[in-house]
Amino acid sequence: MSIKHALMGLLAKGPHHGYELKASLEEQVVPLSSLNFGQIYSTLDRLERDGLVTHRLVAQEERPDKKVFALTDAGHRELRAWLRSPSTVPLDLRNETFLKLMLARSLAGLDGAQSAQGVVAAERRASFERLHEVAQMRFRAAEAGTPAEVVLLLDLASLRLEAFLKWLDRCEEVLL
Amino acid sequence: MSAPAVQVRGVTKVFGSGETRVEALRGIDLDVHPGEFLAVMGPSGSGKSTLLHLIGGLDRPTAGQVRLGGEDLASLSDDPLTLIRRRKIGYVFQFFNLLPILTAEENVALPLVIDGVREAEAGRRAVEAMESVGIAQRRTHRPGELSGGEQQRVAVARALVTDPVLILADEPTGNLDSAMGDQVIALLRRLVDERGQTILMVTHDPRAAAAADRLVRLKDGLVADSHDLPEVKASGEILRELEASE
Repeated sequence: MSIKHALMGLLAKGPHHGYELKASLEEQVVPLSSLNFGQIYSTLDRLERDGLVTHRLVAQEERPDKKVFALTDAGHRELRAWLRSPSTVPLDLRNETFLKLMLARSLAGLDGAQSAQGVVAAERRASFERLHEVAQMRFRAAEAGTPAEVVLLLDLASLRLEAFLKWLDRCEEVLL
Repeated sequence: MSAPAVQVRGVTKVFGSGETRVEALRGIDLDVHPGEFLAVMGPSGSGKSTLLHLIGGLDRPTAGQVRLGGEDLASLSDDPLTLIRRRKIGYVFQFFNLLPILTAEENVALPLVIDGVREAEAGRRAVEAMESVGIAQRRTHRPGELSGGEQQRVAVARALVTDPVLILADEPTGNLDSAMGDQVIALLRRLVDERGQTILMVTHDPRAAAAADRLVRLKDGLVADSHDLPEVKASGEILRELEASE
């Protein structure tokens, strides 16, 4: 995930100080995530260095001055360009399971098919367990008061696991 | 552990003879425990539909035993087998199999009416079953006036209405889009968790199968693998991963 663009998105709504940014990020942009201040401040430093964000100091009683951050014009342009540009969906062509299957077939000699079978079985078990976990979270979402945005992330996770499981079936058909 | 709700022992099933002879099942052993949600998967031709038909009393094994609540279905003559099918098993099908000229409530009441239950009581129990699956507000609608997901809920209510030992679900999400399929699976899961309903589901849908307590894979008429899906802890791996995906 791009913390950089998430921060810029929040600042596009108006100036924030660092603590507000952390809370808003967690509430509005990346549900379930807990970001640390270190990441947020180092990202803000970089954005400022690149001229995308600026800050002013606001005096506080009995406390050090606080930094209030705002998006610059260049920052607004950069954010809009990012929103317009498609994200890269990883195709995972260096898939680890695939590598294991290839090696299991070539390394094991006589019982190669069996080993590849073992790889498929182990991957399938692990993926079903994770899919089971996602499914349970989905089922409990309503009673647990899980926000719809989080449910969408769980949907993405479950669709990906489903695709992987179907691909394992394909591997079994073709290779074993 | 209590006695299995379903016990399958050494079951084979052969169709045809000579050159057209097909061994659909080649010696299956399988238990389904009371309150268990079992998913059966496998490629087409692996024997999963045949197994479902045998457990549902819709067909008889060539050899071996299929016990439901302790009773060997293979040893029963047609009449008592019909009664078991009617009273102890609820069916949920891929294409819902609701009668189009009956209302949803009449469809749900049908297994009771066929069994000679008085109309008023059948109606009362039908509404109760429909309430438990959240579809009672649709009781006067005909199947054609309902969405696929709603029709499948009506079908689940019909399966429940006799308070069966076992619900058999044959590709229950096969004719639904993924959101509606998820809802039907969530409903089946709830029946297991809240009522202790025993369910055996045949599916090729990984997301449906992952909702079950246990997964059995069939291959070439044999059980290839049986896999317990673990209880999910309050804060699981997925949550941690979502937190880490910064």
